[in-house]
This record gives sequence, C-alpha cells and structure tokens, in this order.
Amino acid sequence: MQLKVRADLGQLHRIREFVTESAEALGAAPTSFDDLRIAVDEAVTNILTHGYGGPGYVELDLQAEGSDLVVRLRDRAPSFDPRLAPPADLRPPGERDTPGGLGVYLMESVMDEIVHRTIECGNELTMTKRGVIGDGGSSVGQKDG
Amino acid sequence: MSEDLKIRVSREEGEKAVFVMRLNGSLDANTQSALEAKAKEAIDSGAEYLLLDMSAVDYLGSAGMRGIHAITNLLSPDDQSMRSDRLKVINPSPAASKIFKTLGFDSFIDIHGNIDEAIAAL
Repeated sequence: MQLKVRADLGQLHRIREFVTESAEALGAAPTSFDDLRIAVDEAVTNILTHGYGGPGYVELDLQAEGSDLVVRLRDRAPSFDPRLAPPADLRPPGERDTPGGLGVYLMESVMDEIVHRTIECGNELTMTKRGVIGDGGSSVGQKDG
Repeated sequence: MSEDLKIRVSREEGEKAVFVMRLNGSLDANTQSALEAKAKEAIDSGAEYLLLDMSAVDYLGSAGMRGIHAITNLLSPDDQSMRSDRLKVINPSPAASKIFKTLGFDSFIDIHGNIDEAIAAL
C-alpha cells in the first residue's frame, strides 16, 4: 500500500494512521502496529527535520513479503544514512556526551532490519519487521496524495 | 495548540504550587512545541511542580521525550539533566510506557500511578 505526499510535521498523525490501516489490510499482527508506527514516525521526522529541514516529498510503501512486513520510505532530500548518525547515549540528557540519536535508536529497537540506499534523486530506507504476517501475506497497490 | 494534542491544565489545592497537565492525543514532533509552550505558561503563572498525566497519550515519540526534557529544564534551570524532582509523570498509557522503558528514561523520571501518589512524593 502506497502513500505519496508532500509531508510536513502536521501530517505525522495521518501518516501513522496510514501505517496502521495498511498493516491491518496486509494481515499483520495487531501487536506489531505500535512498532511500525514508531519506526515510520521517527523516520519521517528525521527526513523532514534533518533531510529537508522543512516540508518535503515522502513516498511510503508497505508490503507483505512472505511472513515479513516491509516498509520502504523514499525522499528527495540530500543523501543521509540515519544508521551512520552517532549512536544514542541513553544517559540523562544533561549527562550525555552527544545529544540526539533517540529516534534512530527507537527505529532500531522496534524493527528487525533497516537498510539505507542512496537512489538517483534522494534516499530509500527499507525497514523490515519479521514474522508478523499471519498466512503468507499479500501486496496491495494504491496511490494517495 | 495542535488538534492532535489537547492539554488541560489545572492547579491542585494545597500549600505547594502543583499544576497538573492532562495530555490527550499524540506527543510527537508536531505537538512537542505545544506541550513546551503550555508548560512555560503554567510555570510563568506560578507552577513550581508539574504533574504530566499521560494516561490518554496514544502516541509518544522521541520528540515528545525531548519536550519533556525541555520542561524539566524550565523547572530546574540549574540542572540540565532530566532528574528534576519538580516533574512527575502520572499513569502513562501503554504506548507512552513502552517508549519510557525502551529508552530507559523510566530509570530517571519519576513515574507514579496516580496524582495523590505523586503529590505525596513531592
């Protein structure tokens, strides 16, 4: 299921709803919905705040691949692999050597695999949640926005 | 205020200036600034202690945690950590609780089951 939008932070709520609806339609276990919402919200927030530095084009695609649910995010921001950011320092903020990194830490905590690829006009982030599709899964194409 | 997050603020009766902020909705990168603005408003009007009722928070992201950190800085400007004894979190929803635990922030932010328990701990 696919969503193409010129996104801003005001659309995070709608994007999370799209993730839930798509995951449900693809047959993902309801226990995975929170994790999928967290991963996509943090990834889109990173794209908008660090990639574009404001609103920008985001393409979100959810597919069932066997028993896995695969989320692909594409943007046209300058190339940036979030996994190369300094690791999160989970001490209390005032005691940290490096600020930030919490969003990427959350993404890595809730997903099984995250792969970044530089594409012709931007970035593609593929995030996989394994074993959440009940009976082999399916793929549905739909455009919006 | 963002429509995605409703914030109701009230002052508790008692000697200490304790304000309760009841959050209803999503605490993300879009609503983080609304939370901080409302907290600053409460502090400017005399709040010395803030209790964040997070029982109706349906989504909490890392931006929301940064918002909570910003509030602790407002309450305790001499201490930039999140170890403020002036901020307590009340009854976080399962979605919020999961983020506190995943990030380990439940080890240095005071979390209580209800308002009376939090006030007794002040």
